[in-house]
Amino acid sequence: MTDHIIQAYRQAPWRTQMQWIGVFLLALVAVASVAAVYLNISARAATTGREIQAMESKNDTIERQIADLETKLAFLTSAAQMQKRAEDMGFVPVDAATEQYLVVPGYTGRQLAELAPAPGPDMVTVPLLRSNYTQSLWEWLFQGFLAPSQENRSGEVQP
Amino acid sequence: MKPAHSLRYSVLAIILGLSSLAIVVQIVRIQDSSSASQLLAQAARYSGEYHTIYPERGDIYDRWGHLLAGNEQVYEIGADLQQVVDPKTIATTLNSILGTDYAQTLAAASIPYVEGKAQYVVLDDFITPEKVQEITQLKDEYTKQASENPNRKNNPSLSGLVFTPHLKRSYPEGDLASNVLGFYSYLDRENGRGFFGIEEKYNDLLAGTPQEVWTPFDPHLVQNVPEVQPGSSLILTIDREIQASVETILNHALETTEATSGTIIVMDPNNGDILAMATTPRLNPNEYWKYAEVFPSPTPFNRAVSQTYEPGSVFKVLTMAAALDTGTVKPNTPFLDTGVFEIGGSYIHNWDGSAWGQQDMIGCMQHSLNVCLAWVASQVGATHFYDYVRAFGIGHQTGIDLGGEVTYPLRIPGDAQWFPVDLGTNSFGQGIAVTPIQMVMAVSAIANQKGEMVAPHILKAMVNNGRQYNTNTQVVGSPISAATAQTLTNMLVESLQQESSDALVPGYTVAGKTGTAEIPTDKGYSSELTNASFVGWGPIPDPQFLVYVWLEKPRTSIWGSVVASPVFSDVVKSLVVLMDIPPDNQRQLIYKQ
Repeated sequence: MTDHIIQAYRQAPWRTQMQWIGVFLLALVAVASVAAVYLNISARAATTGREIQAMESKNDTIERQIADLETKLAFLTSAAQMQKRAEDMGFVPVDAATEQYLVVPGYTGRQLAELAPAPGPDMVTVPLLRSNYTQSLWEWLFQGFLAPSQENRSGEVQP
Repeated sequence: MKPAHSLRYSVLAIILGLSSLAIVVQIVRIQDSSSASQLLAQAARYSGEYHTIYPERGDIYDRWGHLLAGNEQVYEIGADLQQVVDPKTIATTLNSILGTDYAQTLAAASIPYVEGKAQYVVLDDFITPEKVQEITQLKDEYTKQASENPNRKNNPSLSGLVFTPHLKRSYPEGDLASNVLGFYSYLDRENGRGFFGIEEKYNDLLAGTPQEVWTPFDPHLVQNVPEVQPGSSLILTIDREIQASVETILNHALETTEATSGTIIVMDPNNGDILAMATTPRLNPNEYWKYAEVFPSPTPFNRAVSQTYEPGSVFKVLTMAAALDTGTVKPNTPFLDTGVFEIGGSYIHNWDGSAWGQQDMIGCMQHSLNVCLAWVASQVGATHFYDYVRAFGIGHQTGIDLGGEVTYPLRIPGDAQWFPVDLGTNSFGQGIAVTPIQMVMAVSAIANQKGEMVAPHILKAMVNNGRQYNTNTQVVGSPISAATAQTLTNMLVESLQQESSDALVPGYTVAGKTGTAEIPTDKGYSSELTNASFVGWGPIPDPQFLVYVWLEKPRTSIWGSVVASPVFSDVVKSLVVLMDIPPDNQRQLIYKQ
């Protein structure tokens, strides 16, 4: 009698097997999902990494070109060149005896070269690369769940 | 399940289990083996590469932002030996376009490729973009020909040529202000450095800090590549237009006076800004390898700071300043010039050997009387006189921010080489040696009307990491009072006007003093060889420039009043235009408005 009662409430063997298969498939799907996410992120990171390398190279090239163009411009506007061009255009050097002076209200005279702003309190150096781009998935999870976000405390520049 | 099957499965499970265990054990063993660290190191070595980033050398600008020293793009041409297929064509092409040695290029391009040992050779460097474009076009043409005629033998090919861009130092103004700038030995890409002038003095600032960077090949390992800051850029006090004008005037002066060399310094006496500093000879720093040719030993690179000389009568300005400041004399103090003054057992004579009779101090300065100034120095007394000379910075470096500054030791009472007669000769600038920049610094105390001696300097500002840091005026001493400076200035204005000096500039009031110094030789002082000088400032009463002129061994005339005074006048005529300084009468009107 007892055996019958136990048998009556026992799961059918096929049900048990289906449960195991279900659990296995669930785990498989979970692993596959994580793998897919990982692969996706990994592929994007690789692409972005290559793009960054290419941009760094391009940045170097542009900086060289800027320096080159500045120097070329300086050659074209050198004192000797400018004097020659002025003479070719019919200008003659002004003579101290014939020079006329006018008072221009508000004109404070020629200003000295100012190639950059003066040092000030806004001189905070920030890391160029955000931590999101270097941390692992585990570090991200750990930071997200267990540790308060550092993003807003680090003073990093947000895009 | 039957027991027999169960046994088989158990055995199979044990075998698989043991195999798995063995694999795990082997993994752990390999990880822990002695070779593991070597293998890891080897793997790490191939996972990326170190390369040193040399920052761009900082630019140099004049006070208005005109570029005086910058960088331009050039190319290194090399051969990727694995890709080279036709060394002869490479050698021929580079020989015809760049003029490289055919045999050397052929030998270099023919080196067999060996992995890790012979991969790349440099064939030429510092090639202009235009030349590179020419070679690239030819390379593309050969590639096109080869693709159109793939079966043709001996297709010419420039395959394997690699063009690597980099920067080289460049000076757009040529030899303008080259004595101030110095030069950078850019041909030595690994160990190049600045020589002379600003390039040497601020070499570390301009060069920046090279950084060694690890670049992983794995794009997953993207890292924050450190931003290598370029070297600091420097803004000088030099005014390009004034410098160009002064150099032109100096060149003309050397032609007309047939002097062996010349130096002109223009400084703002209020803050020590050097507006122009011209000396001869000058070197185009773009061709710095001609240094030995332009400057045969012992020619200094910049006479203004690197050559001492006996200044002669321009030194009387300092003697008179000391006398006025101590109260020994006043402008109207009388002096009877008998043409000779005895001091320390020796006799001092005037420049023309004659007696000038009754004079006052203005007359003594106007006629540049050695006898009078020797008497003045004796009245001041040796102790006080040399105290003032030292206070004016004579005998010490000015500390100007240029490479190669020298000084001549000042002999003072108590020194073995000092004699009582030196007090007399030193009073009119003989037996004492200075650099032009020392005289300029000393006279600045008088010229700015404040008695404050300002440090001459070339650096106006520095741009570092995106910020501009301006320099401040440095007062290095107050050897005399403001009243003395003003009194002496007025005396020198009057003496110039009474003399109808060639230094005068119509419409502008200037003060100044000539100087003619005999040059010591192996056989004593030579009256045929002189140093002709002039120091002057203006416009009075609000001086904005101090000009120092030195012509070495002029031949058309030995006198400073004849050869140096007109040069001062020419410089001032140019300065008032370039510095927008109206004539005296118009300035007074403007001030009233």
